[in-house]
Amino acid sequence: VSQRPLPAIDGADAPFWQALRRREVRLQQCSGCGSFRFPASRLCPHCREEESRWAAVEPTGVIETWCVFHKAYFEGFEVPYTVIQVRLDSGVRLFSNPVGVAADALQIGMAVEAVFDDLTPEVTLLKFRPKVSVASTGE
Amino acid sequence: MSTMPVAVVGVGNTTYGSLPQHDAYGLGSWALKEAVADAGISFDDIDGLIVNRIPDYQRFCECAGMDPSYVTTTPGHGRFCGICIETAAALIRAGMATTIALVYGNDGRSAGARYGGAGDAYGSGGGGNWVAYGMTSPGAFHALMIRRHMELFGTTADQLGTVSKTFRNHAALNPNAVKRAPFTLEQYHASRFIAEPLHLLDYCLINDGGVAMILTTAERARDLRQPPVYLRGYGMATALSGSSFPPEDFWREPMRRAATRSFEMAGAGREDMSSLLIYDNFTPTVLFSLEGFGYCGVGESGPFVAEGRLALGGRYPTNTSGGHLSESYMQGWALNLEGVRQIRGACGERQVRDCRFVHYMTAAPVVTSIIYGGAPS
Repeated sequence: VSQRPLPAIDGADAPFWQALRRREVRLQQCSGCGSFRFPASRLCPHCREEESRWAAVEPTGVIETWCVFHKAYFEGFEVPYTVIQVRLDSGVRLFSNPVGVAADALQIGMAVEAVFDDLTPEVTLLKFRPKVSVASTGE
Repeated sequence: MSTMPVAVVGVGNTTYGSLPQHDAYGLGSWALKEAVADAGISFDDIDGLIVNRIPDYQRFCECAGMDPSYVTTTPGHGRFCGICIETAAALIRAGMATTIALVYGNDGRSAGARYGGAGDAYGSGGGGNWVAYGMTSPGAFHALMIRRHMELFGTTADQLGTVSKTFRNHAALNPNAVKRAPFTLEQYHASRFIAEPLHLLDYCLINDGGVAMILTTAERARDLRQPPVYLRGYGMATALSGSSFPPEDFWREPMRRAATRSFEMAGAGREDMSSLLIYDNFTPTVLFSLEGFGYCGVGESGPFVAEGRLALGGRYPTNTSGGHLSESYMQGWALNLEGVRQIRGACGERQVRDCRFVHYMTAAPVVTSIIYGGAPS
């Protein structure tokens, strides 16, 4: 696992990576129009406002698509492994890995929730598992 | 300013494959010398130069002994082929230069260029946040896109395989193609997955080579050796906002805009096209292009290609050279040469009969569309 490529956690996105350590998803939010963005940028791409803050968002979203890697591009990965594209409820898109669901059970629009995966003492990854449906436990 | 279209008057290329004895400068010089000879001009007639993927314009000019009035260099991204051609046409029309050479040299195979993974310089831009999840490579990006297309529209692997198989059959008729042995759909399915649902045979080749084109005014073109091939229409559009992720519309909106502009400029429509050249870095882009440029309806590209329309003898023979999938990975340039040669009627066994218009198109965050024709209007 230690040979896995690691993200740069000390750059402009440091608040995002620090928040994952605390089991939170925090994204850069425009002080002008309120839209969220990731990775960090000086201007809001929607309204070009420069002021922003890092705000906690719901750690939930939907799967937009996925693919399965059979070629080992990096050390520290066992193939095959699955990459998902998630659109958070805040509108921000992320690439990630699914937890607890096989690739052939994935569906476009599947609701997912965050799983915080401590990769190293410094780096926590944001992964996703199918959201447990509250309604289905009723009857 | 002339109202006559700009013309392609010379084309040249190297052999393609593994050429470890040549660097990008040597490959570009080789191709340019071929193009100069093809046009029947001299190096000194060239007053504009755009190099692509060749690292340094200065060293290239030094190697070729050139002092053009206008010079620039462009990055080795496939989308820049169309940008270079359209920019050259605009420069000529604006009077900035009369005769422009476009020179491409790619030593990527021998130099070990990576398209994914730790040493990747292509297609994973801004991807540093995603490597920890194993996300990398242009191929995986297209795998994500076609998976969604499959889920939304029922597109199948057989349909992708048909695209690859069709272009390979074309390459079998092209003596300069790198991969010429035909394969069956069964062999397609048996080729290994790279980023599933894409198989190895959905991916373009990685090979060395060089390509050059010479463009000039229609007036000057009349006196040169080859029958001019005119840039009858061209257009560009981008979808760069949010482009770290696949576009929800498979780039249909920018393709629609570029198509409209180029068809209007050409005074011709889809029904007038004799042959298509589609930037085929991966088989899915062929499907996305057919939908975006309006050759079929949204979500209908799978059945459209499965019915044989892209094959020689079909309604829209496409990538008659074999394309990036089977001829050569010249990032759009070799496809444009094929268009010029088809209009000239110089394609031998793979010649499209009565070839009047050829349409080159790309599906990417930068969309380009170029329509070549044998008549100036």
